[in-house]
Amino acid sequence: MPSVVELVQSLVNGIGIGLIYGLIAIGFCVIYNASGIVNFAQGVFVMLGGMFAHTILTHYGLPIWLSAVLATILVAGVGVLVQIFVINPMWRRNAPLFAIILATLAVQLLIEQVVILTLGDQPRTYPEFTSGGPLKIGPIAVGYQLFWVLGCGAVMVFSLQQFFNRTRMGRALRACAQNREAAALLGVPVERMLIVAFALSSGLGAAAGILITPTQYTAYMVGGPFGINGFIAAIIGGFGSPPAALIGGIFLGVIQSEAIVFFGAGFKNIISLTLLLVVLLLFPNGLFGGLTKRA
Amino acid sequence: MTSLSITSPKPAARAARARLDWFQIGLLAVCGLLTTGALIYGGYLLTVFQLAMIYGIFCIGLNFFMGYTGQASFGQNAFACIGGYGSAILCVQYGWEPALALIASMVVAGVAALLIGYPTLRLRGHYLAMATFSLGLITYDISIQWTSLTQGYMGYAGIPPLGIAGFEIESERWKLVALAALLGFAFWISQRMRDSRFGRGLRAISGSENGAAALGIRVPRFKLIAFVIAALYASAAGSLFAHTVGFISPEVFGPQMAIITFTMLYVGGVGTMIGPIVGAIVASVLPEIFRSVGKFQDIAYAVVLLGMLIYAPKGLSSLGKLFRPRKKEEA
Repeated sequence: MPSVVELVQSLVNGIGIGLIYGLIAIGFCVIYNASGIVNFAQGVFVMLGGMFAHTILTHYGLPIWLSAVLATILVAGVGVLVQIFVINPMWRRNAPLFAIILATLAVQLLIEQVVILTLGDQPRTYPEFTSGGPLKIGPIAVGYQLFWVLGCGAVMVFSLQQFFNRTRMGRALRACAQNREAAALLGVPVERMLIVAFALSSGLGAAAGILITPTQYTAYMVGGPFGINGFIAAIIGGFGSPPAALIGGIFLGVIQSEAIVFFGAGFKNIISLTLLLVVLLLFPNGLFGGLTKRA
Repeated sequence: MTSLSITSPKPAARAARARLDWFQIGLLAVCGLLTTGALIYGGYLLTVFQLAMIYGIFCIGLNFFMGYTGQASFGQNAFACIGGYGSAILCVQYGWEPALALIASMVVAGVAALLIGYPTLRLRGHYLAMATFSLGLITYDISIQWTSLTQGYMGYAGIPPLGIAGFEIESERWKLVALAALLGFAFWISQRMRDSRFGRGLRAISGSENGAAALGIRVPRFKLIAFVIAALYASAAGSLFAHTVGFISPEVFGPQMAIITFTMLYVGGVGTMIGPIVGAIVASVLPEIFRSVGKFQDIAYAVVLLGMLIYAPKGLSSLGKLFRPRKKEEA
């Protein structure tokens, strides 16, 4: 039986990784709500965020904040390219759902291979944003990076909420989510909104990747697991509002790290995927979507 | 169009017995010629085509569930995993006959599919895709973690080749012939089922679930049966893989397999009769062609796949239809 300290420590770690899952989950939701497409290549943006930030930081010697901003913008650009060259043609041709899913998986493969060719396949990391050892609260260690994740996550969720509720473009996005045809009739440029959604969601993924890289590492293949966990978090949150997705992510992160304490690291994925199945079967609208039975 | 086939069952039933057009026959002939070529040429090509045959069997099953019934399963590799490990464990640990082990693991996979499918198939769309995908991932993780049963990353080596009653197929050439024959047999069974009352019911479901239910088709039961059939095919493919290669490890049945087979099905044409076979052969040969491109191989593969998905979403076997009046697709 693990000690209390171990449990609390894993809880803290779980919240840290869970916030990252939450940010990725928000990215899923933004695209899904605007277009009804689940972008399974979402994880690749997380990886690109970390890789780009590292490259800019080490090769051009820019300060970390500038590298982070530049990397986020670059990855958002990649997201727009994916939308224009892959998703939009399929969307216009009314491609079936699963063909689009497969296309996003192919995009993931493509980007990963391009990254191997251009940036190499070595894992890499960079120092935490604020140097200095972990903050000790009694026997519990809290890394400074966790506070960065927490702060940035809060800022991003808050500004997204404002964006969706206050700005014209955010409202147009929500209109597309509710009824695409009606939105188009009212003069909302739906395809342009899709581009905005992709830019937003890939930027969010990149931010998550930039924030998590100092505590872990990044390499070309980290995208897949991040994408899957982000998707699980999105389903737990119910594909609804950004805060719900964030909470879903934290929930998943905590459960995963407790599972590591109780069952060992190998069972991390088994537990989280089982959790996904349970949520899908019992609460198809997510834990915060009410108990209505509708898949 | 749908209303027509509902109100007039007789012509619809006749039309449902789809015939191969000349383009498709040509494709099949090319695939047959390629296989014969590999058979004569020998060497490494034999292995490529052996795997293509196995994937073809897998895809025929997948096509049942995805093509005809219109559902999605990204997790069929779970059942291939059951088949492969079932064969490996029964043959290596307990010294069973390969053919007997194949059938026994098919039974296990079928029962597993029944138990898993019953709750899972209530889901739709992305949710079903993700639930089945996670099934595949869970099985993959279990096959790594449950070392006492599966030997983890070590895998199983020394699995006897396919054979029956003490007679074993040792030669690589004969293995390919046997696999091609099995593929033909699997195709024939799937063909018979496709044109049966059951198969027509499945295709009605893919057209409209409500419409099918209104016609008295028990939608959940039909879906479940299609899922089990797909699982049986997958398990057989997994067993055949184990017997053909002689070694299995968890990576063989990882999520990669789900994506590869999905690609094959889409390249060949989902919901077409010969799609799975053509797709399996083309998608197996394609990477070998691109191998000369060296490290750009995967990139080329992804680009070709994307191009296919965008410009020929119904796959190779329907390219012949491009020259005929097009029907409006439902999203």
